[in-house]
Amino acid sequence: MDTHVFASLAQVRILLVPIGPISSTLFEKHASEIRSFDSIRLGDIPEANNDERARFTPKPLSMGHLHLSYPSHPPPAPHSPLSLIRPSHFPLAVIGIASCSQTVNISSVNSQFNSAVLTMFSGDVPYPLAKNCFVFEEGDGTSSISGNESIPGLVIFPSVMGNTKLYIGTLLADLCSNILGEFSVLLQRLENPLGNEYLNASSLPTLPPLSEMPLSLDMTSGRLPTLPSHNSHPEISRVTSLSAPQMKRNSSLGVPTAKKRISGIGAASSDGRLYKVMADLFLLSGRTQDASIWYTEALQLFKPSVDSIWQASALEGLATISVLDAWSTGQGLQTSSNTSREPWSESSDKLTQATALYCKPSIIEGEQNMSLLSYLYCTCVLRHSSLLFSIWSAKGWGPLAFTTMLHSGPIPYVPPTVTQETRDSWSKVERLSMISGVSRHSISNVIAQAHGPWLLHLGVRERISILEVMASMYSCLGYKRKEAYILREVLGCIMDLIVCGREDGSHPPFSNGAGLGIHGITANSTTQVGVRLTERSDGNQSVLELLKRVCRVLGVNLDAVKTVDLLDSPISPATDDTADNQEPFGWPELQVGVIRESIAVAEALPDFLAVAQYALSSLKTLIDVLTPGDQYHLYSTAARALSTAKRRGSSTGVEFWLSRPIVSIALAPLPLIRLPIEKPMSALQPRPSDPNTILTGATDPFLYNPRRVDNAQDRQLVIENEVLEFVVLLHNPYAFDLELECVSLSTSGVPFLSEPIRVVIPACTDQPVILEGKPQRTGNLVIRGCIVQTPGGIRKEIHLPLATFDEEERCSRDRSSLQSESDRFKYSGLEALPWEKAIKRQSKHLAKGASDRTIRYLECKVVPEQPLLRIRRTSVTHGALMLYDGEMSTLQMTLENISPLAIDFIRLVCSDSTIAPAQQALAEGNLSVFDTYETEYALINQPVFSWNKKDDMTIPPHRKTSLTISCFGKVGCTAGTIHVSYSYVHRSAPDVSDVLHTRQLSFPLMVTVYHMLECHGMDILPFPSFFPKHLDKSSKERIPTAGIDNETNWCLFAVDVRNAYGSPFKVSVDRMQDGVPDAGSSVTIPPGLTSRVIIPIRKFILSEEHTSRPIPTLSDRQFVVDKSKLPENEQKVQRELFWYREELFKSLCCRWQEANGTRFGDLSLRRQRLTLNMLETLRSETIVVRLSLVRHATGTGSAVPVAQKHGKHYPPSYHILRLRTKITNMSRTPHALTVNIHVEPTEHMIHDGALSEIPVGTLGKNESQEIDVGICFLSHGRFDINAVAKVVGNPHQHEKGMTHLACIVGPEE
Amino acid sequence: MSHHLFILSPSDTPIYSLTHYSTKPAASIGSPLSANLPNWSTSAFAGTLTALSGASSATQHTTGGTVRVGGGQDRHVIQMIANASLDAIEDVMRKENGMYLKAVDKFNEWTVSAFITPGNSKFLLLHESKNDEGIRSFFVEVWEVYVKTMMNPFQSAQRTIVSQAFDGRVRASAKKHL
Repeated sequence: MDTHVFASLAQVRILLVPIGPISSTLFEKHASEIRSFDSIRLGDIPEANNDERARFTPKPLSMGHLHLSYPSHPPPAPHSPLSLIRPSHFPLAVIGIASCSQTVNISSVNSQFNSAVLTMFSGDVPYPLAKNCFVFEEGDGTSSISGNESIPGLVIFPSVMGNTKLYIGTLLADLCSNILGEFSVLLQRLENPLGNEYLNASSLPTLPPLSEMPLSLDMTSGRLPTLPSHNSHPEISRVTSLSAPQMKRNSSLGVPTAKKRISGIGAASSDGRLYKVMADLFLLSGRTQDASIWYTEALQLFKPSVDSIWQASALEGLATISVLDAWSTGQGLQTSSNTSREPWSESSDKLTQATALYCKPSIIEGEQNMSLLSYLYCTCVLRHSSLLFSIWSAKGWGPLAFTTMLHSGPIPYVPPTVTQETRDSWSKVERLSMISGVSRHSISNVIAQAHGPWLLHLGVRERISILEVMASMYSCLGYKRKEAYILREVLGCIMDLIVCGREDGSHPPFSNGAGLGIHGITANSTTQVGVRLTERSDGNQSVLELLKRVCRVLGVNLDAVKTVDLLDSPISPATDDTADNQEPFGWPELQVGVIRESIAVAEALPDFLAVAQYALSSLKTLIDVLTPGDQYHLYSTAARALSTAKRRGSSTGVEFWLSRPIVSIALAPLPLIRLPIEKPMSALQPRPSDPNTILTGATDPFLYNPRRVDNAQDRQLVIENEVLEFVVLLHNPYAFDLELECVSLSTSGVPFLSEPIRVVIPACTDQPVILEGKPQRTGNLVIRGCIVQTPGGIRKEIHLPLATFDEEERCSRDRSSLQSESDRFKYSGLEALPWEKAIKRQSKHLAKGASDRTIRYLECKVVPEQPLLRIRRTSVTHGALMLYDGEMSTLQMTLENISPLAIDFIRLVCSDSTIAPAQQALAEGNLSVFDTYETEYALINQPVFSWNKKDDMTIPPHRKTSLTISCFGKVGCTAGTIHVSYSYVHRSAPDVSDVLHTRQLSFPLMVTVYHMLECHGMDILPFPSFFPKHLDKSSKERIPTAGIDNETNWCLFAVDVRNAYGSPFKVSVDRMQDGVPDAGSSVTIPPGLTSRVIIPIRKFILSEEHTSRPIPTLSDRQFVVDKSKLPENEQKVQRELFWYREELFKSLCCRWQEANGTRFGDLSLRRQRLTLNMLETLRSETIVVRLSLVRHATGTGSAVPVAQKHGKHYPPSYHILRLRTKITNMSRTPHALTVNIHVEPTEHMIHDGALSEIPVGTLGKNESQEIDVGICFLSHGRFDINAVAKVVGNPHQHEKGMTHLACIVGPEE
Repeated sequence: MSHHLFILSPSDTPIYSLTHYSTKPAASIGSPLSANLPNWSTSAFAGTLTALSGASSATQHTTGGTVRVGGGQDRHVIQMIANASLDAIEDVMRKENGMYLKAVDKFNEWTVSAFITPGNSKFLLLHESKNDEGIRSFFVEVWEVYVKTMMNPFQSAQRTIVSQAFDGRVRASAKKHL
């Protein structure tokens, strides 16, 4: 391709072409040998043997150099109009490179060479001026070729020849000499009026054809070849011949004279162009002084006319000369640095002028010239920019700059100062500007001048080449965005060629395209099928590289999704890229545009994998920018491309591209009846020491219990060989339905059998998906995440760490650190690209990540297979139970073992709705001791449901069993649950573990308890002494008096029972006391009525030790602090009341029964309070005092008791009677007693001695004493006599006896 | 004659853009070289090339009835040019002291002027003709409105400015000065 070197005007182009069969490496080898000669000293060039050809050949010992360059291609045929204005554009010589073995015929090589040259150059171009063919002998061929070496223009390099290079140098010098000679011939054709006419005919003239030349010039055709050139232009030739001897360094003589004389010649047109051509040729010949003179001349002549193109071209030449001069004189080492103007400013100014002139061509002649004019303009701009660029990149005006400007290789030369590293760093690039004095900005401004609509005028090849040069210069300057702009145009050119090449089915594909051969076959049928004959993908990669480069600059990473080999790529775990809230970067519209373009390019190539890769990469990275339509388009494009690639047998696919499709994984909770519960084996042994959990409600005394936290960790229990369900939440952030080819769980630990499933996630939603599987063995099952596969991609394992506290904290820390950075701008522009930023952040993250971070995953503990039980039926209909208060009934529950394992352990735990409030009341601790006891009693002794069978009951596989559960009606109960825990404990397998697993079956019940009988007004009365011994039958049933021997030892228990319900109930109270026969009393209470139930009770006394015990708590609660600070004696009374009440209730059994039904139950008396009076009555007396009235029979003097009736005595008045007081000490200890007797009304009686404080003396155990007091009633009426026995010296002692006697005094009978 | 304004966040993401059509006549300073452009290819890629090279605007000037609508006003191309000019702006702004960088870059027919706020936000204006003072005062006014908008605590420096008031005032300012 063309290289736009600054000094191209001074370079003699020699085209190197391969001839015949020669391998490209061999050709390159020889070509590079030739190319190593980039300049030849003028002194080395042999002189012309002919005088007329000697105008341009250097004289011996002349200084200066001839610069050579070696293009690989001839300029295209449409460039032929440039042949005179820009001779340096054309190869002035052709060197054919052939390799030959013994068999090759040399003459055929020669003819091949000649025909190749003929095809390359059209007839209207005078070039090439010289040609030569180098035949390199291969192998050890020493003999055969040497025979016919006499073909002119063909040089054979024997393989044995050493120092080939020296020989090539000599040959090149000869070739150059030929060229310089031909220059003279060329000029001769212009140095006549006809030539001059042709030269001035158009702005881009051509050489007059040879056929016209002799006719118009001279009739005598024979003389033409010998006609000396200076004959037609004597002045010029004289000048040249004059100046020729002195032309070593200084040739400024004679120019003024030439100028004067020329004006007369060629009246129609000026000679400016001729001079300019001459100057061009001198420049090519390395004679800069001459060139400079002639350029100046030409410019003088151009000034008045408006020949802007030629003028500009001359200016370009002049600009080149100054660089060449600087190069040759001491290689540009500056001695004086104090000059105000930079040394290159002159050249630069000239090029600026030239640019302006090219820009406004005076004459525009048709389409073809437009293309060439644009070309000239662009090359001029590029010359200018390469001048500045060379100086900039070479750190100033110096040898390196000249090397850059004169470089003639096939590929552009970039000085070593501009490395990739330099371009990326602003300071390094800027340093070059500081040193060289050329700012990047100014270079860029110059380059930008070349860009414009006129690029469309250019031929494809020139356009690509110019754009390439621009792009590479921008790239070297570090102007990446400008480079990207230009590269897009380059891509556009190339892709256009490819597409057009394909559409033109009949033509062969472009040779310099991206290497794709599609021959569209126009068949007879109307449908056209493009058949791919060969697929060459040589250039594709480079095109794609360009694309990626452009996209990266615009902030699109097309490599975000990589292609991978589908066949042998292992399932790789996803790297945890926390790429959620990425900051927006770049220009969204440009990004979308460039993505569309990239995909179009990749489709046009076609490279299906790249299409998919780009589409998916952009979906991955630009989700925030893409519209739903774009997203859908990209996704469907990618899917189509992947399937096409697969169809064509490609084994590569894309890597997994979704970022975080899985939000969470959770084990779906097992149904309660399947849920295993781990228990320690020791739970099987009964532990009597355990506190009663029903009272405490199993509360933990510790606020923070580390053991419990540990238990609560996510080690869910699952069961071997039973189906597990995992709920996986999938997230689709895109606006299209996302298809996942397979989603399966990734587990470790226990083998886990699961089937992958195929999922389609609807657009922009979270979709929960259930994945099922069975653990195959017992042990630990770790669910690390999911394995996900997109269509046409590879499987990817996505790890999902458990959201533990640490993990959450780490995530939130990362998030907040990102968030805090989000509005702070440390980097801008291209340094803020997401991936650049990530690199800069990395150091910080590494330091943090070094701290050992243990990732925990969801874990399950797989336990052995468990039996399964179900409730087959129950005796309760609709799960609702109706009970009367205190009713006792049973319910039946039939359980069925539906598993192949036996059940050998069953335990029932029942709960009801009264438990929780009671527990709470207990836990609050505001209850009095007494209430606490009552509550606890109710909890422990009166559960709603109870079952008291043994645990070790066995249900064989597939068998049924039935359980009977007793129920107790408790007011306030609304619901209850019966939990059946069961297990298979005694397994045959040698599984010695200290835990067992149970499953639980729950049977909830709705309970309704009707309140129907109310007890109130409990009372305990002294047994009346007048009680009739024999009662009628009905009374007997109500008050059983059988076995009552001595009424003083008995009392009556009475309670009122009200029937608040709608049906009658029979209430019975049974007495169960030791030492007395059991008896019962019953009464039937109709609805709405109250009835009193009475039963005699034998008094009893409890020992001091018994009653002094504190009121117990049934729970083993510690720390029970007695809140009521009672005085000691009160406390004592309280305790006595408590213990006597307990004893009383123990001896009574209250029951009820439906009067016309079968239901029965308990009647609770526990609501009733025992008062102190009742206590006194209930307790057996310690000192029994009995009063009786005795009268002495008149005759005998023996005592006769006074008649009594219905418990009352009927003594006569005015009789001396004896009041006999019998005191018996019933207590276990002796007491000293006194007796007080009080008679009411006192004034109507008289008595003997004192009635108060009658000393009795000490009575031992069971000792009794009688005291007689004489008494006489003085009136009729009722007298009440009370006797109280007291222990002496202990006035508060409650142990005292008292009695009462009522007498009705009447007249003596 | 049209003007294109881009306001860039400090990380060079556009957060506001405005196209203003001025009533002033466009100065046709097209080079003769860009006349008579060939219409030589039909592939989509050639279209990209045509647009990027700035040729379509020229086509619009010469042959009024061409198919390519938009032409030099092609939004994508305008954005490409604005984006590419950031290279030059970044280069120049480090050396210049002023906030207003006038005619900092030229590309195709467009001249790019820029205004760098102290917070490193950039205002880019693509214009075709020379109007230094007008552009300077336009920039200063936009800056004032921009600062007021940014003082809103709910406005992030990264996000697009959607404020109606901002838009209205910028438009008014553009009408006044451009």
